[in-house]
Amino acid sequence: MVIILIVTPILIEAGISGFESPAAEYSQLGLSLDQLLIDHPQATFLGLANGDSMNQVGIYHGDILIVDRAVTPRHMDVVVATYNGNFSCKLFDENQRRLLSASEHYPPINIGDGDSFLIEGVVIRSIRCHRASRFSDVCTD
Amino acid sequence: MYALIDANSFYTSCETVFDPLIRHKPIIVLTNNDGCICAVNRLAKELGISKFVPYFKVKKQCQQLGIVVRSSNYELYADLSANMMQVISRFSDDQYIYSIDECFLYFNNYHNVINDFKSYGRQIRRTVYQETRLPVCVGIGPTPTLAKAANHAAKSLKKYVGVAVIDNENIRRQILAAMTVDKVWGIGRKLTAKLNAANVYTALDLAKLPPKLVRQNFSIDIERTVRELNGETCIRWDEVKQPKQQIYSTRSFGQRVFEQTQLREALCQHGAIAAKKLRQQQSLVATLMIFAASSPFDERPIVRKKLHRFVVPTNDTGVILAAISDAIATLFIAGVPFYKVGIGCLELIDEKYWQHDLFATSNDNPKLMQCLDEINGRYGRDAIKNAAQGFEQKWAMRREFLSPNYTNDWRALPKIHCQ
Repeated sequence: MVIILIVTPILIEAGISGFESPAAEYSQLGLSLDQLLIDHPQATFLGLANGDSMNQVGIYHGDILIVDRAVTPRHMDVVVATYNGNFSCKLFDENQRRLLSASEHYPPINIGDGDSFLIEGVVIRSIRCHRASRFSDVCTD
Repeated sequence: MYALIDANSFYTSCETVFDPLIRHKPIIVLTNNDGCICAVNRLAKELGISKFVPYFKVKKQCQQLGIVVRSSNYELYADLSANMMQVISRFSDDQYIYSIDECFLYFNNYHNVINDFKSYGRQIRRTVYQETRLPVCVGIGPTPTLAKAANHAAKSLKKYVGVAVIDNENIRRQILAAMTVDKVWGIGRKLTAKLNAANVYTALDLAKLPPKLVRQNFSIDIERTVRELNGETCIRWDEVKQPKQQIYSTRSFGQRVFEQTQLREALCQHGAIAAKKLRQQQSLVATLMIFAASSPFDERPIVRKKLHRFVVPTNDTGVILAAISDAIATLFIAGVPFYKVGIGCLELIDEKYWQHDLFATSNDNPKLMQCLDEINGRYGRDAIKNAAQGFEQKWAMRREFLSPNYTNDWRALPKIHCQ
């Protein structure tokens, strides 16, 4: 996973000359969105939400999903499952061992004992571009 | 103890990571320019497809059998390899990456930490699959060569289910007896024929030879292999790590090339790649081979070659490209449909040990080259380059079956259905 998004904070100084802002020496460190959004870089991948069945949990068509394969899914986590040859976004019902769609149109999928890798990973974060990014025009369609 | 971990048919496995639809299908991956088959997964192998065969020979067969065909997507493989290596590195403080899809781990003084190497190996295998979706096999043994042998057993013998450990004499004999001698690390095809002639067929036969006799009849390297097969460690990381003795940069064209300028641009591009590799490993080239050829499948295959010997060994892109440009006139023949070109740095000299010549002065400009490498390192390959490399590369690779650039392009992220 190579996403390098460095945001350098802008220092707002009050126009006082003579004293350097005490924060000046820290400004070079910057903030990395990777640091905030990604916990296990080598086990994480990005995907693009396609469809609106997960609107109820706050995931919309065109959102970027950050999927972590290293974490164990917990009850009602948003997960990505491999189903019918596709990656599908589902809710994990741990109690009844099944995958739910947030939309009523789709029946739940039962997870059998042999399906330990049916769940591809946990959607730990999602990103929505409210204005299209210059790198990604997918969010606008 | 040492472990050798490698991915099962790495390139085809990489193709399945972001494409669950093909996870249980037969898959092959083609080399640069879609010329040859370079990777075959187990299912495709079972259908009778093998590696190193020109693709056009089995194209029809692949279509009929429903085999998934992919061009090699090195950007993707490099990213997934880095992830895989990083996951594996958590299992030991001493990792040596041997190639894009295999690495060694060394467990020194781990007896208090790991009491069961078999279950440790299974844990490595499971974690790598969990986090990267790449299937790997793990071989563990008291020497690197035995770890390699255990890995071979883990891969080829079903009963091991991907993890084999040589931790006693019985298993060592079993595994070596089930392994033909050509599969032993460091034993090539020529040597195999020689060994077979001396009635050595299995790895166990080889291990039983007296080491001194092996040194007399073969070489000190093979003697070390024999010792390693008997559990005596002789190979050290820093020896395996030695810089490459030769550097090649070659490729076939996407379309046949008939023009001299295009041929020159392509060769200069390879020259620039080779020059960068030379600088990376701090070597100088003394003898350069420049070649251009038509297809070996043409009715009248043509191979043109020219050796250039540098009076002063160099790793300067400008100096190397000048030598290439001089050679073009002798290589080019009008009317020949050129198919493949390349550069080989045949004789390398370590920069540190180069003895300067009193009368021949170097034309290298190390500062300029350092600057060039830094700019390209920061802004991407060929951000800045010699004009001789050309701008519009009509001869670029053909990659007809290329999978999307899932990990390198925001527009190619895998789709996750919310339907």
